[in-house]
Amino acid sequence: MIGALHRTALAAAGFMPERASSVAAGVDRVFLFVLWLSAFFFALIVALTVLFVLRYRRRPSRAEPEPSPSHDARLELFWTAVPLALVFVLFGVSTRTYLRMVEPEPGRDPLRIQVMARRWSWWFDHPGGRGAPELHVVRGRPAELVLASADVIHSLYVPDFRLKQDAVPGRFTRMAFTPVLAGTFPIVCAEYCGTDHSRMAARVVVHPDQASFDAWANEGAAPAASLVDLGRTVFASKGCAGCHSVDGSPRVGPSFKNLWGRQEKLAGGGTARVDEDYVRESILRPSAKVVEGFANVMPPVPLEERELQGVIAYLQSLGEAP
Amino acid sequence: MIPAARAAEPAGAPAESYLAHGRGPRAWLLTLDHKRIGVMYLVVITLALLLGGVFALVLRLNLWRPGGGLVSNDTYNKLFTLHGAVMIFLFVIPGIPAALGNFVLPLQLGAKDVAFPRVNLLSFWLYAIGATLFVAVLAVGGVDTGWTLYPPYSLEDARGLGILLALAAVFVAGFSSILTGVNFIASIHRLRAPGMGWFDLPLFLWALYATGVIQIIATPVLGITAAMGFMDRLFHLGLFMPEYGGDPVLFQHFFWFYSHPAVYIMILPAMGIVSEVVSVFSRKPIFGYRYIAMSSIAIAVIGFFVWGHHMFVSGQSRWTNLVFSFLTLLVAIPSAIKTFNWLATMYKGAIDLRTPMVYVLSFFAIFGVGGLTGLFLGALATDVPLHDTYFVVAHFHFVMVGAVLTAFLAGLHYWWPKMTGRMYGEGMARLAAALVFVGFNVTFVPQFFAGVAGMPRRYATYAPAFLGWNRASTVGAFVLALGMGLALGGLLASLRSGRRAPANPWGAASLEWTTPSPPPHENFEATPRPTGPYDFTGLRRVSDEAGWIRVPAEAAP
Repeated sequence: MIGALHRTALAAAGFMPERASSVAAGVDRVFLFVLWLSAFFFALIVALTVLFVLRYRRRPSRAEPEPSPSHDARLELFWTAVPLALVFVLFGVSTRTYLRMVEPEPGRDPLRIQVMARRWSWWFDHPGGRGAPELHVVRGRPAELVLASADVIHSLYVPDFRLKQDAVPGRFTRMAFTPVLAGTFPIVCAEYCGTDHSRMAARVVVHPDQASFDAWANEGAAPAASLVDLGRTVFASKGCAGCHSVDGSPRVGPSFKNLWGRQEKLAGGGTARVDEDYVRESILRPSAKVVEGFANVMPPVPLEERELQGVIAYLQSLGEAP
Repeated sequence: MIPAARAAEPAGAPAESYLAHGRGPRAWLLTLDHKRIGVMYLVVITLALLLGGVFALVLRLNLWRPGGGLVSNDTYNKLFTLHGAVMIFLFVIPGIPAALGNFVLPLQLGAKDVAFPRVNLLSFWLYAIGATLFVAVLAVGGVDTGWTLYPPYSLEDARGLGILLALAAVFVAGFSSILTGVNFIASIHRLRAPGMGWFDLPLFLWALYATGVIQIIATPVLGITAAMGFMDRLFHLGLFMPEYGGDPVLFQHFFWFYSHPAVYIMILPAMGIVSEVVSVFSRKPIFGYRYIAMSSIAIAVIGFFVWGHHMFVSGQSRWTNLVFSFLTLLVAIPSAIKTFNWLATMYKGAIDLRTPMVYVLSFFAIFGVGGLTGLFLGALATDVPLHDTYFVVAHFHFVMVGAVLTAFLAGLHYWWPKMTGRMYGEGMARLAAALVFVGFNVTFVPQFFAGVAGMPRRYATYAPAFLGWNRASTVGAFVLALGMGLALGGLLASLRSGRRAPANPWGAASLEWTTPSPPPHENFEATPRPTGPYDFTGLRRVSDEAGWIRVPAEAAP
């Protein structure tokens, strides 16, 4: 009977958004598990309350309570142990799904997209250079978003994907998912950000296949203002080329050829993997992590969020670590 | 003068009541009497509740249409900020401990006053200054940061003077809370009546003790955070503002290190009231006294280690999230222990459906929903989509409004005869309780659905798909307001026309009911001899006018 109720609830949950990402169905299963668990305990509390009030209500024939014990250690143990066991089960069920919600699906080349949040709009830079105020992804292909904010904290929320991630100024955050339904789905901002917080909306376009995505990415104007170009300009204009080569030849600083994802040995011990946050730190606070064998001579280079994103895209275009 | 009360008194001439002891504003505003301080708190927190309630009604009216339009987006944002700040800092946090606790704690201990009466008065005035600063925020144009005050938004120059006043208000009101905690803990340690051991304390005092511990440990962190925010805003220290090298997520850690335990500052005293009322009106000793007492302490302790569940999508490490998720779910256990012990207390009792008990029954249902929906938010997989949606709004209103307000009303109706010496009309009060219950559920149940459907919180406008849920919620808010108005009206009317209250109108066994209603200035005419707070043997009901009196064992029929 529970199974039938469960299927009915799943089907009748018309108020739930679509299950458009690979994790959405899993999230809803956890949701319904907690729902039934809660419904059981809620029903128990209400039923006992109503039953006791009806049976033991004070009335002329019942002026005094019946004798009954005022404590019972076995009973206390019972209603401590049962919830405790259920907490373990719930934690396990929820965590198993959660760990799938924060990693891109392994084994496939994810679509990497840079996201910039600002009051009160979103901007998405896609591979191939096309930027747009809407997010384009491909059905069945994992997507990995790196979020930045130009001003205050925002939160990228796609109800149909059951996913949400804050965009925090001063750092990068990540979000990963695999869309499973083609179509368009709303994106809303879930972290309060001022006047038009409630109107900070965009949409995800899920292309049915890679060809459709490629056609979209290549249509229209040449990607003159792509992030990679912006990064190349910053690299040239801020004097980075004075110390960093892009062809592997050693200079005052490490070369940027095949830099992305490299494990750098640090002066003073330890290693660091070259990723978005490492690049941000190395530009804004160069002395925080100095690569072994190089002098700690680089001055901080204050860049805007958008310029940082550009440099990152440019560095990624110079090849990944073998 | 009060013949009804006299009948229930111990032998000897009745002393002058605390209400008659000293007249004029000075005798109230500078009083060291915990009872008068409690009454003054009660007046101010009721004003705060009304103010916060009016803000809420305007918010709900604006949400009648998806496009809003009753007020501008900016005004809406200021209103929800002040609604939250006023309700939390000026009503829910001080509500039960400072107003009811102040009045009841020394009486239940059998003491003349709290341990530090002057500090108690200082607490009240710090609270009053904090409240005034919040009103001043309104006068300078308001703030629109949300009560959570997240930087960088809150500390941008554009927020103006309002944010500085708000931070100052939080800082000052925080000290009021800390000092109250210190006072209560010291009183419970030092001022118990002769012969009253720790496990002879009424459970309301265990709850206030656990609350005091949280107030003392957590609230200073809020004060420090407010001070840091103040400095960051004025001098650009770069603590929280990324622009100057600070970390906005650090603020969230500090903020929730206080503000999550603060939820237990709100709910623990509420649970204490429920423990008192359910026992008295079932006419049975509370079931599992020690388990309820210890579960209060357990909630206070675990409550310190769950703050990170407010930051599951802030970008903090997933392993951190796992730890916070597990600890959060653990809070369910002491809450379940309490709930089952309350239900067991009613088993085979003689349940008297007086107004306080009616509120407690509604507490069971509302706290049940509030607590159980917390599981969805403690579990990571479901929190990610539900975080910052109306599901969260509904959940915390079930806990903080539903459960705490309902318990507050239960406590207020329970101790009202003791505080004022008057009985209120049962019919009107029970009708009000029913309206509050219905109005509350019609307001907040639809918000769960809106949240599951994906409506984020703090939205001045919304997608038309959410129209139905929002309309239902708005209608419910007005039913709730009507119920609250009726409850308040019934209590105020009793001051004029209520029948005189006997010393012990409910047949309760704790010490506050052994002294006349209202109590004399010194609380007790002679040092009371505790009987055990839930020992109802020998209590006999004489009449409505005389209430209940304890018949010595040998004289019992």
